[in-house]
Amino acid sequence: MTTTPALAARRALTTLASAALLLWAVATIVFFLQHLVPGDPAQTILGGASANPPEETLEAVRAQYGFDQPLLVQYGNFLAGLVRGDLGESYTMKQPVTAIVGEQILPTLQLTAASLLIAWALAIGLTLLTAGRRGRLARLGASLEVVLAALPHFWLGVVLLVVVAVVLQWLPVVDDGPAGLILPALTLGIPLGGFLAQVTRDEFETALQKPFVLSALSRGASPAAVRWRQVLRHAALPGIALSGWGLGSLISGAVVVEVIFSRQGIGQILVAAVTAQDLPLVIGVTFVVAAVYVLANILSDLATVLVDPRLRHTIGHA
Amino acid sequence: MRRRTVMTGLAAAGAGSVLAACGSPAPAAELPPGTREGGELIFATDREPTCLDPHNSGDMPQTYIARQYLDSLVSMRPDGSVVPWLAESWEISEDGLVYDFTLKQGVRFHDGEVLDADAVVANFEQIMDPDTQSSTALLYLSPYFVSAESLSEHVVRVTLKRPYSPLLTVLAQAFFGIESPAAMARGLTENCALPVGTGPFKVVEWRRNQEVILERNDDYTSAPADAQHQGPAYVRRLTWRFLKDNTARFGALRSGAVHAIFNLPPESVPTATADERITTQDFVHSCVPYALDLNTTHPALSDRRVRRALVHAADAPGMVHSAYAGVFPYEGNAISTGTPFYDETFHQPYPYDEQRANDLLDQAGWTGRDEDGYRTRDGQRLSLRLPYASDPGETPPADLTILQNFQAMQRRVGVEIRLLPVDAATLTAIRRDPTAFDIRAGYWNSPTAGVMYIKFSQETFEIDNGQNVSYAFDEELDQTLLDAAATTDPARQQELYSQAQQLLTDQAWHIPLYPIQTRLAIRSDLVEGIWIEPSEGEPVLHDAYLLRDGL
Repeated sequence: MTTTPALAARRALTTLASAALLLWAVATIVFFLQHLVPGDPAQTILGGASANPPEETLEAVRAQYGFDQPLLVQYGNFLAGLVRGDLGESYTMKQPVTAIVGEQILPTLQLTAASLLIAWALAIGLTLLTAGRRGRLARLGASLEVVLAALPHFWLGVVLLVVVAVVLQWLPVVDDGPAGLILPALTLGIPLGGFLAQVTRDEFETALQKPFVLSALSRGASPAAVRWRQVLRHAALPGIALSGWGLGSLISGAVVVEVIFSRQGIGQILVAAVTAQDLPLVIGVTFVVAAVYVLANILSDLATVLVDPRLRHTIGHA
Repeated sequence: MRRRTVMTGLAAAGAGSVLAACGSPAPAAELPPGTREGGELIFATDREPTCLDPHNSGDMPQTYIARQYLDSLVSMRPDGSVVPWLAESWEISEDGLVYDFTLKQGVRFHDGEVLDADAVVANFEQIMDPDTQSSTALLYLSPYFVSAESLSEHVVRVTLKRPYSPLLTVLAQAFFGIESPAAMARGLTENCALPVGTGPFKVVEWRRNQEVILERNDDYTSAPADAQHQGPAYVRRLTWRFLKDNTARFGALRSGAVHAIFNLPPESVPTATADERITTQDFVHSCVPYALDLNTTHPALSDRRVRRALVHAADAPGMVHSAYAGVFPYEGNAISTGTPFYDETFHQPYPYDEQRANDLLDQAGWTGRDEDGYRTRDGQRLSLRLPYASDPGETPPADLTILQNFQAMQRRVGVEIRLLPVDAATLTAIRRDPTAFDIRAGYWNSPTAGVMYIKFSQETFEIDNGQNVSYAFDEELDQTLLDAAATTDPARQQELYSQAQQLLTDQAWHIPLYPIQTRLAIRSDLVEGIWIEPSEGEPVLHDAYLLRDGL
């Protein structure tokens, strides 16, 4: 709470600089990795292994995209474009990458946000209901978490799709509105929820042994209130720290889920772009994912501070 | 092998029985009863094109959607004949080198431009321009095309280097849809997103990764002669959705969220058949079937006896049956039943015969055996590499089963098949490198029997772009196919194309397995009038209408 403006500015600058460095490293690695992939991108642009473009057509493509230039020249042009904020034009979709990513990122963010909410609701619910209880309930809760955390997205997605949408017809198979978000978000959120609940439960059970629980109970607080107000606050910390990572994993999970539910989003785009060796698009999407990671980690740091008042001092003076 | 497709006579379009049943609400409840007019048709397909202008690139999904907004010069019938479309009539010179097309008058593009001879010439020029990056349309034309010129306002003359009797069927494909010259002049980027034609629907918006929105062309006057009705389409709006996932696509059909789907997944065929609300339409493409191509630059495979032995040992019908459970038929000929001039004599030229296979391999000198039981010659094991795309979208599980069956069958006669899963980029690289593979699986769709020339000729061998996968040609075969292209007499064509099938069968450069099929599944309780045209198996939605009271 005593952070001075100068300190804050320095912290912000450091964060920004390391984010920029990270993004540059990501771009460079992706650029050279993509060039290590065998195959001729011109051939790929013209339809891949199943097409038979004549040589003149291939050459027109190579010239248009500069594949005929030395690799370092291509890298230089690419970096120069990055500095200008120009991610280039997608080889396959023939649109500026920024436009494609801009259009596709929103559905993915909606999906990941909804999934994270579901995951936390599930984790908190399971923990409050079953953690630290005696007997069967705790064992049931713990086993359920293991099962949920182990569910693969592609399986869960197809099962939900077939059972809820196709057979029961409770929800639409495809829908661009909020109803269409429910099943994909459950598919992503349930396994993460199981995972977060495992972490939260451990911490919750440890915290239950702490003296402050006994003292709160002795002051006359009800056990439920103690669990909700005090113990959960402790227990949630590791989960919050993990949520930054979780958000990243949700974006990779979105790759699968967006295909199953035919949702718009950068996951689908990334798969198509990697297969097609669409370098500008791969880099564009990778960039955005890296940026989301950076942002998510900043956010989870902030959330930790919010939940744990003790950190407000130490961080302020760091 | 790009997915070029065409099918066979699919005539019987939807036997549409209108079934009440099902709880889903009638989609046309708010539409006026007793008319076919109006409403929104939702069609879902698996693959999204990378460009909506089919002159660019040339992948199958482009033709399927382009058929809805582009008209071609002619339209193909299931029997292989062609009927007028944008071209009202045509004349072919005696020597087969000059085609004069007389265009329909009074046709306008969606942007108001007039369809005239100059516009058609501009289309040929765009296809031939390397900057258009055509990999299909260009290939059909480049060996033959000299020029296109306008003789008068409505007459176009196309001149060829050498006779090419399949030209008209080739031009029927949506790859050769006629676009507005003004729109093409905007450049590839814009033309890919919003191409402009004369067709029954206009492209309004392409929401990538999701759908293309099309609206009815209310001024449509240029339906092909074989359309079920003339004049504008019945439905007011058409949504062309991309649902890649098989479960989701079929689920969307069953729940009524879409009216028809392209590519009914083979595993859903039994469910679809049992569902009274769903009718299916199958179309066998005119094509070189899905086949294992044998690379004759390999020392063992350069010997015809070894190639024939592989076919005898394979039990190809059994391989196909076990993988596709009877959903796809077996085809052992060089071309499919859907191809004009198919000759049934060569349906199964080398029946399963393990003894015969062993004899042939012995004769070829592969008489030794190594410690693993594989045949050897001069200490070298008879081992063949078969790379395939590891992406299940490219190699569906059933195709992988076929490859594994093949491996197991060849093991019985002492031939080692090494299945090598590779990523798409590696496979693309392998295509042009004969030393990197010994066997490859693939197919080639094309509306004419001339497809044999595309795959197995000296000319395509010399282009060296991987089209001639077997790296083999035969002068007699080349001459036979060139003669067939030079004559317009159907009896003579049948004779020559049969001879070509005979020659290809003798060579055993490839092991054909099953013809490419397109399967539409249609909610026949909701929509009526969808049919498949035969040049590329394109679904035609101009005649489709939503069912409602009074129909």
